[in-house]
Amino acid sequence: MRLSQHSTVDGSGRRVPKALTPLLLSLCVGGTAWGQAAPQSIQQYATSWEEFQALKEQAHGGTKMTWSTLPDWTGIWSRETSAGLKFDPAQKTQQATTAVVTPAYKEKLVKKLENFNRGVEWDQLTSCLPAGYPRWLTEPYLREFVLRPEESWLINEQLEEIRRIYTDGRGHIPEDEAYPLWEGDSIAFWNGDTLVIHTNHVKKGQYQRLQPDYSDKTTTVEQWRKAGPNLIEDVVDVYDPEGLAKPWHVIQRYERVTTPDLRIAYWSCEENNNVVQKPDGGTQSNLPGEKGYKDPGKLQDSLSQGKVPGSKK
Amino acid sequence: MKLLKANAGPSLLLLVAMPIVSVAHHSAAMFDLQKTITVTGTVTSFQFTNPHSWLIIMGKGPDGKVQEWSFEADGPSTLMRAGIKVSSVVPGDKVTMTTHPMKDGRPAGTWLALTKSDGSVLAPRGAPPPGEKAPARAG
Repeated sequence: MRLSQHSTVDGSGRRVPKALTPLLLSLCVGGTAWGQAAPQSIQQYATSWEEFQALKEQAHGGTKMTWSTLPDWTGIWSRETSAGLKFDPAQKTQQATTAVVTPAYKEKLVKKLENFNRGVEWDQLTSCLPAGYPRWLTEPYLREFVLRPEESWLINEQLEEIRRIYTDGRGHIPEDEAYPLWEGDSIAFWNGDTLVIHTNHVKKGQYQRLQPDYSDKTTTVEQWRKAGPNLIEDVVDVYDPEGLAKPWHVIQRYERVTTPDLRIAYWSCEENNNVVQKPDGGTQSNLPGEKGYKDPGKLQDSLSQGKVPGSKK
Repeated sequence: MKLLKANAGPSLLLLVAMPIVSVAHHSAAMFDLQKTITVTGTVTSFQFTNPHSWLIIMGKGPDGKVQEWSFEADGPSTLMRAGIKVSSVVPGDKVTMTTHPMKDGRPAGTWLALTKSDGSVLAPRGAPPPGEKAPARAG
């Protein structure tokens, strides 16, 4: 089995990331230094599937889980505070991606940042569309991780985005039935208490605002484990033959939320969404009294009378 | 409810010095993150909703004109993590809001810190419950 430079194997066979210090390298686009920080690998897998299969071989086909052997990931979690909206928590800023992107995707990113610098930015979330995976990894709000022997649900509060992770031994959706999915198609196995996931068939999107785009050819390998009583860690390798010149290795962390009695409620995106797109493509909020403003206190009254919220009729 | 008290001046100064805004759901480009102002007035409504909460105040800004101001904050779960409940602010409360205003000059901005008449401060990013960090956001 080959291992990438940014990982080692501990005594239990788990892949363990090396210190983050080497991340502070120059971002290379087509061989040209640009931006900052990306882990450099000596040996990389050609594809995410190759990596996934190698990890599965290392785990001797995977650990058969039962209700009594599943790890305890109960509770409410949220992404680590310091990561903000950075896809790679090791980035210094949102703009300073550690991804090694292809020239075509560098061009897209430069254009995106130029638009932002002149005040023009629009996020699909504002249209009440899901973040989608892998951006899902970076969204704030509350999370629950529900583990079952044959399937697990990784849930983010925002738009009730649920990733269904199949651990019953099934394969991916057959190619002739596959189409891009918001959360992709995820199959997995357990390696001890580590959940190893392979995901494909994602919809194209952006890793996060002010960060690179990814194509619908993107696939990932994730290794989720409880790294401490109040910490869940996901070691992610992202492969995208269109958008990335080399796989992107990042570590996502989720901290236990300890606010007493906090519960996850239904997250309605349209309940109070008065953000509209300006003619130049930018973002603007309609304020109370302005044309098009939808008063959340009157939303259901309007709907019960057959009126379109925000209309004058 | 976990609040900063009247002597929270240094904390508030630190808070307003940080270019952090509650824009997980949309771009922050509409706000002037380099500018911080205060608006003093009376609360008319508190919309404790997703994707964002909004506090509406009839108040006076830097130009001295009394008008309706709107301030955007995080959704309910994030506010509750910061100790801000639906009952924390009610219509009729006399308040002062510290905000990054809209770039286009309309009377609105981000909810950075709300000081109530008793001196307590409600800060979505600045006053997490003891033992917990402020929720992750970035602009």
